[in-house]
Amino acid sequence: MEERSDKELAWASQQGDRTAYTVLVQRHYKSVFLVGLGVLGNVHDAEDVAQDTLIKGFEHLRQLREGSQFGGWIVTIARNLSINLLRKRKQELVCDAHPTSDEPAESGYEDLQQAVARLPGELRLPLVMYYFDGQDVKKVAEKLAISTSGVYQKLRTAIKELHEVLTAQGDTP
Amino acid sequence: MNRPCPEMQDKVADYVLGALDAEQTEALQKHLSGCEACRQYARSLQEQGQSLVALGRRLDADMEARRDRVVEALQEVAPVATNTRPFPSGGIGILPMIHGQDAHATRSFLKMGIAAVLVLGAGVVVGRATAPRPVDVEQLRADLQASLVASLKPAVQESVSAEVDRRLESGLAAGAASLRDKLAEQLRGDLQVFVTQFTAGSEQRLEKRFAEFVQLIEQARLKDRLHVVRALEQMEQNRHRDRTQIQTSLAALVEKKPAAIQH
Repeated sequence: MEERSDKELAWASQQGDRTAYTVLVQRHYKSVFLVGLGVLGNVHDAEDVAQDTLIKGFEHLRQLREGSQFGGWIVTIARNLSINLLRKRKQELVCDAHPTSDEPAESGYEDLQQAVARLPGELRLPLVMYYFDGQDVKKVAEKLAISTSGVYQKLRTAIKELHEVLTAQGDTP
Repeated sequence: MNRPCPEMQDKVADYVLGALDAEQTEALQKHLSGCEACRQYARSLQEQGQSLVALGRRLDADMEARRDRVVEALQEVAPVATNTRPFPSGGIGILPMIHGQDAHATRSFLKMGIAAVLVLGAGVVVGRATAPRPVDVEQLRADLQASLVASLKPAVQESVSAEVDRRLESGLAAGAASLRDKLAEQLRGDLQVFVTQFTAGSEQRLEKRFAEFVQLIEQARLKDRLHVVRALEQMEQNRHRDRTQIQTSLAALVEKKPAAIQH
């Protein structure tokens, strides 16, 4: 059976077809989750943001006038929600002298995951999109609305900083 | 591990990312072949990249379960009506306005906001840069007086102008009827003069054109007559010539065959 386009699925979802929206969720969940992870650096928060994003997307889908742009639209919502949550987290850190401990990392990649989490958000997001999601530099540039040379510059800085951190820990890959 | 050459670290990172062109790659490889620390750095960054990809795959393994949880949660959610935009307090707008008039309006608003901020900022900067230094009291009083005069002058002028306008309007309103009649009379007179002049001028022009036309016709007739006369003359000449030729031919014929003709 021929795969239905985002435009068709979005239109059907706007008419109340939950099955169509489920297909959109399955298709775009990873991008949404990874944007959350890229901004927040935390799997647990990224999961929450992804869920909130996709629910808000369903609730407000009628505001999307061009169904073919669902992917960009939902990723933008994820990014905005993540930034809001990040601000909230920072405010909590200022108020709370004893922040909660980090979440458990993927076994065998603890140091790397923590080093990624400690990167500045503007470096972490392109890094996650490039390495975790396997997107090429051109696509990352499009999604972040920056130039390809800008993406290369961020990636270069990110991998150098990661290397610095991991080397300081005596845990070079 | 020895430290890589500081000036080569960016190049090595770009090399690992595949951002170098062929020439740069060749130059870097040449350097790497002779520099153990940079070679080790490049290898380490490549392994780090592989680890990042592997970590991404590990995270990917749980993606389906996460997705299913979202799908499950969605069953409880109902879509809401159009044109409701949640903007949580203290945060940025969540829903992107990426289409149509909303996007345009937002962009325009942002542009106007930015322009306003720039103008205000420039004003503050200029104001500070050109702020007057402390002056004596007399100078200050003179400045103040000049400033007051300058600021009141337009207002006074405007007031006087408004009063003049008002009086003119009332005067015009009173004499409007008689003025209208006078104007109508004047207009009628002007129109009559214009029509008379125009008619006289037209007649003169018409006579002149007619005379020219008659003259042209006469010229054409004369030319035609000349042509006819010339044609008749030519015909007469041709007839005379033909006759002469026929007479000559007959005479020649008679001279050549007198016997046959006689028989």
